[in-house]
Amino acid sequence: MDPSILILVVSFTFLLIIGTPVSISIGVSTLLTMLVSIDFIPAVTTTAQRMGGGLNSFSLLAIPFFILSGLLMGQGGIARRLVEFAKVLIGMFPGGLAFVNVISCTLFGAISGSAVAATSAIGSFMIPTMNKEGYDKNFNAAITVASSTTGLLIPPSNILIIYSLASGGVSIAALFVAGYIPGLLMAAFLMVVCAIYARIKKFPVGERPCLKDVALRSWEAIPSLALIFIVIGGIIKGIFTATEASVIAVLYAGFLSLVVYKEIAWGDLKPLLVKAGETTAIVLLLIATSTAMSWILSYENIPQDLSTQLLNLTENPLVILLTINIILLLVGVFMDMTPAVLIFTPILLPVAESLGLSPLHFGIIMIMNLCIGLCTPPVGSVLFVGCSVAKTSIGALIKPLLPMYAAMIFALLLVIFIPALSEFLPEFFGLYEVP
Amino acid sequence: MSTVVLISTRLEKALSNFLAFLMAAMVIDVLWQVISRFALADPSSYTEELARFLLMWVGLLGAAYAYRKHSHLSLDLVIKSVSPSNQIRLNRFIQCVTFMFALSVMVFGGYKLMALTLSLKQNSAALGLPMGWVYACIPISGLFICWFAFDNFIHAGSHSENNNNSKV
Repeated sequence: MDPSILILVVSFTFLLIIGTPVSISIGVSTLLTMLVSIDFIPAVTTTAQRMGGGLNSFSLLAIPFFILSGLLMGQGGIARRLVEFAKVLIGMFPGGLAFVNVISCTLFGAISGSAVAATSAIGSFMIPTMNKEGYDKNFNAAITVASSTTGLLIPPSNILIIYSLASGGVSIAALFVAGYIPGLLMAAFLMVVCAIYARIKKFPVGERPCLKDVALRSWEAIPSLALIFIVIGGIIKGIFTATEASVIAVLYAGFLSLVVYKEIAWGDLKPLLVKAGETTAIVLLLIATSTAMSWILSYENIPQDLSTQLLNLTENPLVILLTINIILLLVGVFMDMTPAVLIFTPILLPVAESLGLSPLHFGIIMIMNLCIGLCTPPVGSVLFVGCSVAKTSIGALIKPLLPMYAAMIFALLLVIFIPALSEFLPEFFGLYEVP
Repeated sequence: MSTVVLISTRLEKALSNFLAFLMAAMVIDVLWQVISRFALADPSSYTEELARFLLMWVGLLGAAYAYRKHSHLSLDLVIKSVSPSNQIRLNRFIQCVTFMFALSVMVFGGYKLMALTLSLKQNSAALGLPMGWVYACIPISGLFICWFAFDNFIHAGSHSENNNNSKV
């Protein structure tokens, strides 16, 4: 093996395992790899330059704004109204609250663009409610964790913005629209798991709401649901860019929670801004150091070498495709989503393209794989948040999560083998042409 | 309260104030860009560039703040399963690694980058700001991280590490 790649893999794995922050591990292993072929001063200067340059992008601006709007929605009463709305729609079926949980996570993830925001906002009142009604505590946490990742596929999605960047310009609008069907498919399969669980474990049945309640809850949810239409409609119609849409989401969520619902006081705004800045910075530092790492990888020709080796592995395109997916699943288990997308897109996208997959289709496949990784230990930010919200341990969640992994993998297989699931909608809206 | 703790608390407070200011400025800036494009039909050419620069500052100074708050993502399976004394050793090692990275790449490399772009008189396209000053966030953030890593190092044994590093 090439000495530089050996240094990279060994130092990165070592630092990661002993508990160094992921972004720092990426930065340090990048620097060590650079020092093999580049002198110290140019190496540190180049790393610093790539880190700064990696953040100098207008598309990335959507990330802090979607995070901020997610926080405003979680604390300002918007998320709660969405849950109430889902409850009157389907709460009366056996295991109804589990369905409510899936739908709320999907809806809220769709508005806020962040799986972690969905887990903490929905989970913090859905999980206690479900516990009180006699649902199994670990199941409640597991379903929140699994279903909030569907929000990553349904626009707006910060990770799709990052993929657009890493793939060298697949349109954000096209990716956003492409995520709908796969995301809803995943949510649907998770609801099948809930239905089976509900039957076996005899989950309680909710009360049938009266018509007045249904009307009231639906009416209350309209302003929150309208946000989806404004943000996504505007992006699809080309009225505004993803970044502009994200700032409109902040304005809208801020207006609702500060002026209309009055659930956030003006004085609470500063801690929310700091929290949003902190969360953004965690993602941005990962982007900064991953940008430096992809630079040294391509400087050493590593993506090209690995792509060639993968393609030489076998003649059978199916085997290569499945190998790519297994690699992605493993990557997702051990690595956070952002660096995984930034580092592995340049390596795997050329292989996928030579197999005839479009960059759009591959992007959705990649995010689905990594979504599954987000809810697997040892590294899964959504899993961590879910556990801390539900006050349970990662180990206890594994058993109820297993059938959910199966459901998600089944959805993934469908998306892999039926390109139309991801390509039809963007083509229909004229956002993408299948090559 | 020891001097180190006092300085760290002050720095943390200053960072959080500045972070809130940068975030608010970013929201207003991009909002203004949308308004100027739709309502005034005269898209501002400065706001896009300013927003990107603000993002760079949020990203790097926020990273220092997040480091202080122990909120960067990390794997804690191994460090949680070893004995308390080894936990302290491991934690000290991590702080050293972070300190060296922040010092070499962010402070030294970032300063070199700043000096280079300043000497080449590179200015930004729309605002005409010297790029060297835009890049100043890299060494500044590096200095903060170095200080916080130093603080963590000397206090590694004195209190149980508040383990909220999985929070995103």
